[in-house]
Amino acid sequence: MATTNPLGIDLDQYKWGFRMPENYVFKSRKGLSREVVEEISHLKGEPDWMRAFRLHSLEVFWKKPLPTWGPDLSSIDFDDIYYYIKPTDRQARSWEELPAEIKDTYERLGIPEAERKFLAGVGAQYESEVVYHSLKEEWEKLGVIFVDTDTAVKKYPDLVQEYFGTVVPPEDNKFAALNSAVWSGGSFIYVPAGVKVEIPLQAYFRINAENVGQFERTLIIVEPGAYVHYVEGCTAPIYTTDSLHSAVVEIIVKEGARCRYTTIQNWSKNVYNLVTKRAVAYRDATMEWVDGNLGSKITMKYPSVYLVEPGAKAEILSVAFAGAGQHQDPGGKVIHAAPYTQSSIVSKSISKDGGRAGYRGLVKVYKGAKGSKCAVRCDALILDDRSRSDTYPTMEIDEEDVQITHEATVSKVSDEQLFYLMSRGIQEDEAMSMIVRGFIEPIAKELPLEYAVELNRLIALEMEGSVG
Amino acid sequence: MRTDTTGLEDGVGRTGFDEATLRRLSRLWDEPAWLWERRRAAWEQFRSLPLPPATHEAWRRTPPERLAWEGLAPVLQEEGSEEVIPRALEGLADGGPTLVLHNGAPARAQGAEALREAGVVFCDLRTAVREHPELVEPFLFRATFRPEENAFTAQHSAFATGGVFLYVPPGVEVQQPLVVGDWLDGEGFASPHVLVVLGPRSRAALVHRRTGLGGGLVNLGAELVVQEGAQLRYVQLQDLPRQVREFGVVRARVGRDATVYSLVASFGASVEKLFVESLLDSPGASSEMLGAFFADDAQHYDVHTLQEHRAGHTGSDLLYKVALLGSARSVFAGLIRVHSGAQKTNAFQSNRNLLLSPESRADSKPELEIMANDLRCTHGSAVSRLDEQHLFYLQTRGLTRQQAVHMIVEGFFSEVLDRLPLEGVRLWLEQKVAEKMGAQAPLGRVAALRGLLEEVAGNR
Repeated sequence: MATTNPLGIDLDQYKWGFRMPENYVFKSRKGLSREVVEEISHLKGEPDWMRAFRLHSLEVFWKKPLPTWGPDLSSIDFDDIYYYIKPTDRQARSWEELPAEIKDTYERLGIPEAERKFLAGVGAQYESEVVYHSLKEEWEKLGVIFVDTDTAVKKYPDLVQEYFGTVVPPEDNKFAALNSAVWSGGSFIYVPAGVKVEIPLQAYFRINAENVGQFERTLIIVEPGAYVHYVEGCTAPIYTTDSLHSAVVEIIVKEGARCRYTTIQNWSKNVYNLVTKRAVAYRDATMEWVDGNLGSKITMKYPSVYLVEPGAKAEILSVAFAGAGQHQDPGGKVIHAAPYTQSSIVSKSISKDGGRAGYRGLVKVYKGAKGSKCAVRCDALILDDRSRSDTYPTMEIDEEDVQITHEATVSKVSDEQLFYLMSRGIQEDEAMSMIVRGFIEPIAKELPLEYAVELNRLIALEMEGSVG
Repeated sequence: MRTDTTGLEDGVGRTGFDEATLRRLSRLWDEPAWLWERRRAAWEQFRSLPLPPATHEAWRRTPPERLAWEGLAPVLQEEGSEEVIPRALEGLADGGPTLVLHNGAPARAQGAEALREAGVVFCDLRTAVREHPELVEPFLFRATFRPEENAFTAQHSAFATGGVFLYVPPGVEVQQPLVVGDWLDGEGFASPHVLVVLGPRSRAALVHRRTGLGGGLVNLGAELVVQEGAQLRYVQLQDLPRQVREFGVVRARVGRDATVYSLVASFGASVEKLFVESLLDSPGASSEMLGAFFADDAQHYDVHTLQEHRAGHTGSDLLYKVALLGSARSVFAGLIRVHSGAQKTNAFQSNRNLLLSPESRADSKPELEIMANDLRCTHGSAVSRLDEQHLFYLQTRGLTRQQAVHMIVEGFFSEVLDRLPLEGVRLWLEQKVAEKMGAQAPLGRVAALRGLLEEVAGNR
């Protein structure tokens, strides 16, 4: 069937694939060495403990092998990557101060728009340094801290040192070690006890230079009884060579607190997106990960929650969409390490045009975590006969008094659904797109409105021309 | 029993698995040259292949060292002893054809006379390679088995100690189930091999019960070839002694419009690492895979299943149930793989684990790899414990707590056993479940309790 394209969008062009001329203050040498790591630390004017942490992590990185499972990472050339780029001398305080091409980038990403909509705080990361940041005054008055992590190291050293690297140690995996060695930027959020941040805090991350690694480090501390919702979106322009994004996110959710972390990842299709995200939830606390993966060449990302005290809860919602040349390997992990903990994982994956999407997960229940409950549900939709779906759940149950279930289905778009919609006068590709949107609806409805709209728009773009 | 383990050192630390033993086994089998060649080739592979690394995903829950053969040597049994026959068949022989093996050597074969006239061959493997080479040679260690897969499969082929052969000619339907009592004793290494070849449109059921005395390592291989339009039921009942450790591969290749029904049930051994696989190569092929595993004390079962759909219009349906007592541990790792082009596939996989004690532990990895889109593929997995409400209800009806637990366990396994159309085997299995529960007989045989049992089973 012929493809209609009423918007006249060139679908071969990645929507966010525009590219600004490079005009950086500092760009590190390609490749990784103790000197590069020391240079990064020096330029940032970091305390000794952080420099030592970076250097230790670098040793760990060198020792760790690449994962022997999952997507093929053998084509990553760690010596062909810039590990640090500093775009401006100092952080901008207002929008007007930003360099024109950076401003233009963000204009296209729609950040000022978000600002105009009175969103609580907007942090934007251009390459490795957070260049623009604002936070509503009332939150500041309540003691909420929302800054980039570099600033946090300088302004709140005690808080950072207390928690940094405690949830994801460098020894965790090769990419966590890499991030720990060369991290730059990311968000630091501290919500004092009892404070409920009603409007989501948001940050955009963006890779601009070619062969640049993006290694942001996010640390979120939610004190007892507090609530915060953090939203990040990611885009990168298209380059012919592959780039690497390897973030670490650490979250501490204390007694009775709740944290929701939403990511819509739409990296361009040559980015290796290898991210370690982990939260620790204490007594009666709730941690929620909402994770959307649309872009990147390869994504390996398994947001995890350690339920370490009674009554802690975890919820993981994951959507993956893999088109041509993409391998989405997302998932989730829940560790039940205390009694009466609960978790649920819902995964929806769609593969198309030879793409490969799936779910990889772990549910672990330690001995003594009695009364724990966990339900995992994975659904996959395969839109053509060249694409692939994988489901790799693992359940390790050391406790008798538990209820653990896992269910998964893989199917195609049903002919009956298509026929019904087309009998109502809807074109086949639009009908297909509607069905896919319906498929991901349980997760889309959990997103803030503008992200839900964006997700649906991206899905619609990916879906165009998918029939015939 | 004759075990010859003298002077065996092969220079690579694989004591007892040297060329001298290989030759001794070959003489014992009185085998043709082609089989000697296969043994030798497998032995070369065995010598060069390392153990699978304990860090490998398929092995990290059961390190291969737990299946070590140090200090062991193949048991070289020349002739089977008649004494083992009653215990080997224990309640399974119901007048149909039977075969009893004693450490791989034939102890007795009977009841297959009528079948022989129809061209059916049902005998021990040593006899088969001598008397029916034309039927055995094209398939043995080739049809679905690959000696080069790892050190264990190479060891299996090189040091095969005996086994079962069944051939059913095209169009022949064998009505009665064929029963094999596979008896192992002594401290050593046994490598039983099962080769089943069902000709087009033929039909048969083979019940393979494995038991014995003593300890050691068992390395099992089963090749099931089900040709076009044929139907095979393979029931494997394992109640080996507690000192035995086992590695095994049970692999079926299913032809066009053919069906394999398998049931693997394990009660014995201390460690069992099994791979149960169905390869659906041709359109219309289908496979039912049932599993019943009941472990107690420190027993450790690690089972991998594979439903490999390589052609369109193929179907598979797997149900594996695991109950654990004491400090037993189980691992279920099941994969459905649907290859590109295998459209109109229907694949189901269900794993249910029942934890009966606070010290037991179950891991479950139900996996899907799907490369076709026009299909239906579903899997589910659950780990749960006894439902106190069910127990309470049963106790209000006058059952002791122990009986109530027993009844729930019976109900749990009945979902698998009720799908087995072999009444005698089902009763045998229920008896084994009862014995594990420390009871004299299955509760389900008490008619007055049957309704209650179904009520509970319906809730699981």
